[in-house]
Amino acid sequence: MSRMATIFALLLASSLSSYGADSPVRVQLDSTKAIPRSVESLTEQVILRDYRFAWTSIAQALEFNTLDPLEGAFTGESKQALSQSVTSQQRTGLSQRYVDQNHKVQAVFYAPEGDVIELHDTAEYQLQILDSGKLIHEEHVVVHYIVLMTPAADRWMVRHLQAVPQF
Amino acid sequence: MRRLLPICTAICLATLCAAQDMHAPASAIAGEEVTISTNGSGKATFYLLGPGVSRKSDVSLGSEVQLKAQDLQNAGEYFAFLCSDTCRSSSFYVTAAKPASLTFLVHPSRVPVGQGDAVSGVALPFDQFRNLVLTPETVNFHLLEGTASVFSRSSQTRDGIAWFRTASQKSAGTLQVDASLGDLSARRAVQQVASDPCNLRIKGERTKAGILVQTEPVRDCAGNPVPDGTIVSFTATDGNGRSTVDAPIKQGVARAQLEAPGATVISVASGVAMGNELRIGAQP
Amino acid sequence: MKFTLPIILVAVTAGLMTLALFGAGHSSGTVGIAAGSAVFSTKASTPEQGLNNLLADVQRRNWDRAYSALSTTSAGDRQSFIQDWTGSDGSLRSFSSLEGFQARPLHATNDDAQMRVRLHWTTPVGPIEDVRDFHLIREGGTWKVAWPKMQISSVPAQIIPVTYLRWDLVSGSGSDEWGSKNVDAPHVRIISMNAVDSAEGAVVMGEVVNEDTIPAFVNVNAALVDGAGKAIDDESSFDKIDHVLLPKQVTPYRIDFPNINLKNVKNVRMDVKATLVPASADPVIGVMNQKVVSDVQGKSILQGDLMNESGQTVNIPHVIASFYDNNGKVIWVSDGYVNRALLPQSGQPFAVEIPKSLAGKVQSFHVVVNQYSLVRS
Repeated sequence: MSRMATIFALLLASSLSSYGADSPVRVQLDSTKAIPRSVESLTEQVILRDYRFAWTSIAQALEFNTLDPLEGAFTGESKQALSQSVTSQQRTGLSQRYVDQNHKVQAVFYAPEGDVIELHDTAEYQLQILDSGKLIHEEHVVVHYIVLMTPAADRWMVRHLQAVPQF
Repeated sequence: MRRLLPICTAICLATLCAAQDMHAPASAIAGEEVTISTNGSGKATFYLLGPGVSRKSDVSLGSEVQLKAQDLQNAGEYFAFLCSDTCRSSSFYVTAAKPASLTFLVHPSRVPVGQGDAVSGVALPFDQFRNLVLTPETVNFHLLEGTASVFSRSSQTRDGIAWFRTASQKSAGTLQVDASLGDLSARRAVQQVASDPCNLRIKGERTKAGILVQTEPVRDCAGNPVPDGTIVSFTATDGNGRSTVDAPIKQGVARAQLEAPGATVISVASGVAMGNELRIGAQP
Repeated sequence: MKFTLPIILVAVTAGLMTLALFGAGHSSGTVGIAAGSAVFSTKASTPEQGLNNLLADVQRRNWDRAYSALSTTSAGDRQSFIQDWTGSDGSLRSFSSLEGFQARPLHATNDDAQMRVRLHWTTPVGPIEDVRDFHLIREGGTWKVAWPKMQISSVPAQIIPVTYLRWDLVSGSGSDEWGSKNVDAPHVRIISMNAVDSAEGAVVMGEVVNEDTIPAFVNVNAALVDGAGKAIDDESSFDKIDHVLLPKQVTPYRIDFPNINLKNVKNVRMDVKATLVPASADPVIGVMNQKVVSDVQGKSILQGDLMNESGQTVNIPHVIASFYDNNGKVIWVSDGYVNRALLPQSGQPFAVEIPKSLAGKVQSFHVVVNQYSLVRS
């Protein structure tokens, strides 16, 4: 009986601990106002896919304090800043959970040669801050992000991710 | 009741004294120090979480918390927490410092001459910590062909981006593309190249080794010399079959030696362009 | 009963080991031999034995005995005889070895015989088969090969002026900052694609053009997709393409999918990758006297002569040919390596095979020459 209780407790703990990272990431992308080049339908689909993947990766990296999820979705400054966040959190024992992410994204600039796209993301999520696994703060936040994405061989990567007070 | 009032007052005061609070600035500049003041008494734990930073330290309530310049290098939203029995939070934004570098994307690196809207550039100012500078800045774009200015435009950044688009010039050569913002500048080069060959013409003569055939100087329809190295295909057909030579243009012309002892018809092509046909009699 | 099975297993294993030890030795000695053994016979009493003796010595590189056993009517010196078998000038033959052979008589009388031999070579580019006719003569009761005089290419000492043209790739010495290295990849385009079933499996082929003004290193990949959208297999053009394309140059490509039938394929996804590459515009190789003929075995072949128009030795020429039907559609791509090196200002014959089923449909063809030069590499 006690063994069953232990297994149940472990399962419960694992389900709780992966709650933030497994939480769905909803992304809506409106690219109708992008200038000077209009975003091709296929490009829009790929950007939507890759931006959603990027936020799933951020959630995993900052919850479990591991650098692996940052491979593939980020490049340049964003990769550097997120890597710093993870290594810094590893030192302090802090972690963050991004729960129930909802991103309303608007493409505002798409370069004439298609080599960079700028997005405005109004992100809403439940932010949980944990110290050594203990919740110390939880709040529903609305954050505005300015995002630069650039194409790689088979995907779009987040090059820059910068929160701003408003657009 | 008289005895109850002082007790209540004492409890309330004690609660107020023990309850911690802090005051963070509404915004800060990347790479500049920030001071957060705290209220209350006793010990507390201070947390700072922001882009690229995570900090945890013990503080004495009532004192100031100094955030070092290196903690605030990345622009974005920062969260500060002060925890003893309970936690208080505050958030503030760090914005980019003044521009320190200019990222300049220019495309294409090679472009055929005389094409509309064929050359474009995108400039993005960044501060010394590689934060995108979002305050409007004026970027000057300048295109030079040799020493002659062929295009100039001032453009204000919007959400950190300024851009231009223009046609390629009429003549082949290097187009220098400059972007400047105050003291900052970035330079790129675009090679303007001739279009496809036009009026491809050949001449040939019999030699001891066969037929020596060569083109006249190969130019595009605007008269620009087609780049050296471009392949010109010569084909000779006679009774023995067909002979072909893919020869590169060198110093403006392509030449080849063909083996065809009989009466021969020679044709020439380069890319989609076809040239004249040459008929040469049989070897005497 | 309990020990019967282990005893049987041990006995069978021992039997197989014995067979492997002794049987394999015999079989390796007879690889490729249609009649008799490759083991040297002291006296060649038949044309087959005479030919076997020569080829056995060639395999063992026993040049003294091989040359001394030739007919007295043979032409050519010892050096040219050895060079004919071992190659020279860094040619493909000089990196090859004779693995086996199959001989069959064409005709024979009491004193002379004509034998046709399929020579199986192992080479760095895979197995290559060579068909060669040998004339044998009976001298004093022994059959000997009459070695013909070989035309060995030789080039007189000379100076060949070349206007040298090459492209170097400068990656930029500045910072590695985003946007600072804005050299676009070369623009290349697949101009034709055709997928067919062959005896070995599915084949995807066509042509690629470099539309840019700089050289490109090109590779074509294809993925076969089934009705459910799932990839069945993906392959690359490997060596069936001229990888380095100069501006406006066209190359055939062929991608083989062994053991796959096109009836299971719904879609073919093509992908051409081009990268900047340092390159040279030389050597220029002409392809002379191209024509489709039948060879001695009755196969349709495209044959011709390669002519090196530059002053640089091409050690291993590689010929790739695309064949078109009367609509200009690419219906086959063949390739073949030339065994001999292509010396400056000299020629070498080549031949590539056309499948029997397509020979009648071929209306036109285009040949490109890929080249490997030891000096350059």
